[in-house]
Amino acid sequence: MTVAVVENWVEEPLKRFVSDARVRLALLLHPSGQVLGQSGFTRAVDVMSACALAAAIHASAGELGRQLEGKPFHVLHHAGKERQIFIAPAQTRRGLYIFLSVFDRESSLGLVQLYYAEFEQRLAAAAPELEPPQVVLAENFERDLNHNLAALFGRA
Amino acid sequence: MSATPFADVLAALTRQRGVLGSMVVSEADGIIVDSNLQIGVKGNVVAALAASLYRKARLSAGAAGLGTANFVQLEAERGRVCAVGRGDLLLVTVAESRANVGLIRVEMLRATQVLET
Repeated sequence: MTVAVVENWVEEPLKRFVSDARVRLALLLHPSGQVLGQSGFTRAVDVMSACALAAAIHASAGELGRQLEGKPFHVLHHAGKERQIFIAPAQTRRGLYIFLSVFDRESSLGLVQLYYAEFEQRLAAAAPELEPPQVVLAENFERDLNHNLAALFGRA
Repeated sequence: MSATPFADVLAALTRQRGVLGSMVVSEADGIIVDSNLQIGVKGNVVAALAASLYRKARLSAGAAGLGTANFVQLEAERGRVCAVGRGDLLLVTVAESRANVGLIRVEMLRATQVLET
């Protein structure tokens, strides 16, 4: 199990979750699509795609929930034939993050839900004090994204 | 909300002396289908972990060439978790140490007929 993180405070909660829940892939990202930590991915391009898709799914599902129930859906679960996807928001004092996990028969939705609740608490506890808000500018997005991916895959 | 087909069976099991609760759980997902629990029993947590335990016990029994796992019992310091499965469903019971495990076992094996319907 390899866990790679852009920000150190993410590492311990993510490592613990992956170990406990026995998931294949785990990804923590900012709602803008920038990665904070990952486990199980071997290629930067896969992380980039997964982040973009997770951010888009989270945004779409959030809006769908607001339209239907007046508030965003909290957790999304999609069960495929072999693999299942679990997407959930993680609230910390540094703001909201999106968590994506892929698991197979080695785990189960119940286990992922159980350990996700613990992960969310650990992440919130580990999050450092809030820094002055940084706006993700379009002109900086690609540079920051490449920087984060390079940090995750050891090319920083 | 109408009662599920498992409500009577779960109520009968939970009425047994020393039983803290019983649940019907999806084995693949570890999610509760129906439950009858005393206050303080963390149903979701027990369901997820018991389903995982049962699945691994079933796979272990198969790998050892012993056939299907019929009844799984976990003895802990202050009680027991028992699980029996049929198809994709599990019947899980949480009991204190003082509970009569023989009686619980008989009741659970009898109750598995309901899981098959």
